[in-house]
Amino acid sequence: MSIFAAQPNAPTKSIIPGNKPKELSLVRVNVTGQPYDYFKPWQKKAPFSKRGLGAVLQGGRVIVTADLVANQNYVELERAESGDKIGADVKVIDYEANLALLEPTDKKFLEGLSPLELAGDTAVGDRIAAWQLEPTGALVVTEGIVTTVQMMKYPVDLGQFLGYRISIPMQYRENSYTVPLVKNNKLAGLLLRFDPRTQVLDAIPAPIIAHFLKDAAKEHYAGFPSAGFSFFSTRDPQLRTFAGQTGKAAGVYVTAVEPHSPAEKAGLQAGDIVTSVGNNDVDQNGNYVDQFYGKLEFTNLLTSRAFSGDTVPLQIQRQGKPMTLSMTLEHRPAKDYVIPPYNIDQAPNYYILGGLILQELSRQYLKEWGPNWQKEAPQRFVYLDRYQSELYPEGNRRVVIMSQVLPANNTIGYDDLAYLTVKKVNGKEVKSLAEFAEAVKQPLEGGFIKIETEEDPKQIELEAASVADEAQALQENYGISSLQRLQ
Amino acid sequence: MPARPNGPVQKSLVRITTTAVEPDYRAPWNAGMIARGVGAGFVIDGNRIMTNAHVVSNARFITVERDGDPNKYPATVQFIAHDCDLALLNVSSPNFFKNMIPLQFGGIPALESTVSAYGFPIGGERMSITTGIVSRIDFNLYAHSSIDSHLAIQISAQINPGNSGGPVMQDGKVVGVAFQGYSGDVAQGVAYMIPTPVIKRFLQDVSDGHYDKYVDLGLTYLKLLNPAQRHFLGLKDDDRGVLIETVVAAGPCNGQVKSGDVLLSIDNHPIASDATVELEGSRVDMPEVVERKFKGDKVKLDMLRDKQPVSVTIALDTIPPYMIQGHAYDVRPRYVVYGGLVFQPLDLEIMEAYQPSDLRLRHFFDYFVLEQIYVDHPEIIVLTNVLPDPINTYLSPYRGTIVDEVNGKKIKTLRDLADALAQPGDRLVLNMIGDGPPLVLDPKQVEAARERIKARYNVQAEQNLEEQSLRAQPKPSEPPTKP
Repeated sequence: MSIFAAQPNAPTKSIIPGNKPKELSLVRVNVTGQPYDYFKPWQKKAPFSKRGLGAVLQGGRVIVTADLVANQNYVELERAESGDKIGADVKVIDYEANLALLEPTDKKFLEGLSPLELAGDTAVGDRIAAWQLEPTGALVVTEGIVTTVQMMKYPVDLGQFLGYRISIPMQYRENSYTVPLVKNNKLAGLLLRFDPRTQVLDAIPAPIIAHFLKDAAKEHYAGFPSAGFSFFSTRDPQLRTFAGQTGKAAGVYVTAVEPHSPAEKAGLQAGDIVTSVGNNDVDQNGNYVDQFYGKLEFTNLLTSRAFSGDTVPLQIQRQGKPMTLSMTLEHRPAKDYVIPPYNIDQAPNYYILGGLILQELSRQYLKEWGPNWQKEAPQRFVYLDRYQSELYPEGNRRVVIMSQVLPANNTIGYDDLAYLTVKKVNGKEVKSLAEFAEAVKQPLEGGFIKIETEEDPKQIELEAASVADEAQALQENYGISSLQRLQ
Repeated sequence: MPARPNGPVQKSLVRITTTAVEPDYRAPWNAGMIARGVGAGFVIDGNRIMTNAHVVSNARFITVERDGDPNKYPATVQFIAHDCDLALLNVSSPNFFKNMIPLQFGGIPALESTVSAYGFPIGGERMSITTGIVSRIDFNLYAHSSIDSHLAIQISAQINPGNSGGPVMQDGKVVGVAFQGYSGDVAQGVAYMIPTPVIKRFLQDVSDGHYDKYVDLGLTYLKLLNPAQRHFLGLKDDDRGVLIETVVAAGPCNGQVKSGDVLLSIDNHPIASDATVELEGSRVDMPEVVERKFKGDKVKLDMLRDKQPVSVTIALDTIPPYMIQGHAYDVRPRYVVYGGLVFQPLDLEIMEAYQPSDLRLRHFFDYFVLEQIYVDHPEIIVLTNVLPDPINTYLSPYRGTIVDEVNGKKIKTLRDLADALAQPGDRLVLNMIGDGPPLVLDPKQVEAARERIKARYNVQAEQNLEEQSLRAQPKPSEPPTKP
């Protein structure tokens, strides 16, 4: 989420009638939170404060972006004109689509505010307005133009979703998170990111918000589905010949099918050419023609235009033979991955053994190295994360790592060890932290705990009795409330 | 200190001018870039000139000059050691060495003692002298190969380009060869010289007419400082032993030493738990024992395996897989150009030329030895570049990928690739490592495009499979006289 710099001389008044509301539909949202510290997983980092704007929706709910309320300890809604405040709960949150629904602890709090309806589809060239608030509570409207509609990356970076790209001379205001985008007094989107240098704003569009709200109305929020296959264009005539494609040039070449995915269950195989998805023809670059947006990557048909549980037909060619497959879409939860792509609002699991800090590898852990984590985090871990489907095809496991060593009597000589992958404990292969904890309970003959690692040193030994004796001192010295968390 | 403490060094000092051709790894079919440089050298016994390898690497033409003589004499490289940055030159003219004084070698100078460096650095044309003290004696990376570390002596004398290869002297004897330092913005007064043990080892190595390179055990080890680990391994509380971690499969210890063994002594020198041994009255890091050995020499290792004593004798050797991680000199780049696709074996030169950001490529390079990747992939054949032509219009996404198979046959070396491309059949299907689609080519189209691509990109030779040495080979003759 970018913070935008102050800019002089930007328009603040609406020049198009109909974009100024009669009553307010916004509340301020103040969040205090603390993310977990993945380097010291028994504690949280220093608290942060964030302020944003929430758009009021039907049914006494407020919509914001998920990154505003991620890792929250306390969320508060504030009436802009009166300054009245009240606590709020996060009812539904989708980190992948970056959306969250809040409800004030007392529904009456939102009386007097007119809920926003969702706008229909917005086309390239449409004017769209960003709504912000002055410190006095006055509405500030900045207008921009939608320059493109395309699939784009969202903050958690797990697949792509539909987005609007808007050219808009927006100014910095206190509320740097969650800015609603409005068209004809209807909610057309929420700010995803803004670059003040280029004045380009990417927005979460109404179709994604609509999908989120429809799903949120169900008893269990399922999340956006994914098919689980990767593909490549078929522009190369040699590749088409190789794949045995007959007829006109169209469709994409399937390069890999994720094990246990909807695509695999539907019978899709690497080498197939997918020519149509959900009865929409797919061209050589992977685009279909959307009735409203024009050429868009077909993945939109499997995300914003479909729900978990939907069955989508796929027309394919396998070595020239046309076939129809039926794919039932599912959402793939983060916890299903061998190395989960995110872990927010959940305490990380850990196990401290004599001073060795054991955890399960996740991208959340790697992101502790900052926005440039792909280059700066331990490269072997980055490699395991990127190629996890290839390296751990069976799935159904985690990668246990020894992250760092807390200097203590039991770890003398091991202080410099860090970022190791654990293979076995006491002779048993460990595929999760829970298995690690179990294996530790059965020391080898002589009362030794032996940990085998993929990398040097290849083996680390501790004395079980000694570790138990020093446990309390370790906790006191390092302020560790509990030596393990296995949830 | 009196003037001229080391005598008339100009009678031993040589100014070396080298014209080199540096290969272009981005266009490996081209000859490369011409570079000129000046360095220093000095005369030693046997009518030889000693200098740094980096002064004369990739040289096509070398001339040497001496004090009081206007002539430039052509010289050739007799021996060159890239793993310790030393070289010996011959001069064909018999007059060159007349009236020149060969320098003698001393020992390791004492810390804080004064030394003088002689050379031809920037700032003038004649011999220049700088002095300083011995600041530190330690193992250090030798930047020329960038993968070898040996004993190096840090001195405070100012060393600049042009000093390279020049003698550093004390009490009339050479105590080191000036070879590297830090630029002024990074550090000041920090320069290094190659000490006499490294020089003497080099001279002894070449005395049989051939430089056989440094040898390695091919082991990584952990200092055994943790009490629980020591008890587990059955060790006494005697501050001895290091734990063997990785045994390099291509190394000389393979099959005789195992991961988990405890190394207790090397050649009967007890190894302390901080990995040091006592040699000639001082404590040095254990690798120093192997540093002094030669190819084929034996070393005795006493170990504890599963608490039982085991002794093995290892015949020392170089470990070829490491070579790709060091700089390459005096060789023509190896490559294959096919259909405008450029294939090259991965090494440090490729990494530096292309600066790839691809994670898989960097992983394969960094872990080539440690994860024993070379076992399945003796050479990592990379599609480094695509020379645009209508037959490869859609193939640029494959840039930076590694060749796995061609028409179902595993590719383990550049030669495998060349052979497979020479027998393409009706269609060529290259599978690259990873998820991407296969790269498919029509051999007839490639054949039809050959001349066009060659002409457009000035590719005279479509492949070079040999690691040919570029240096003029020394004339076969009797080995130089021993000192």
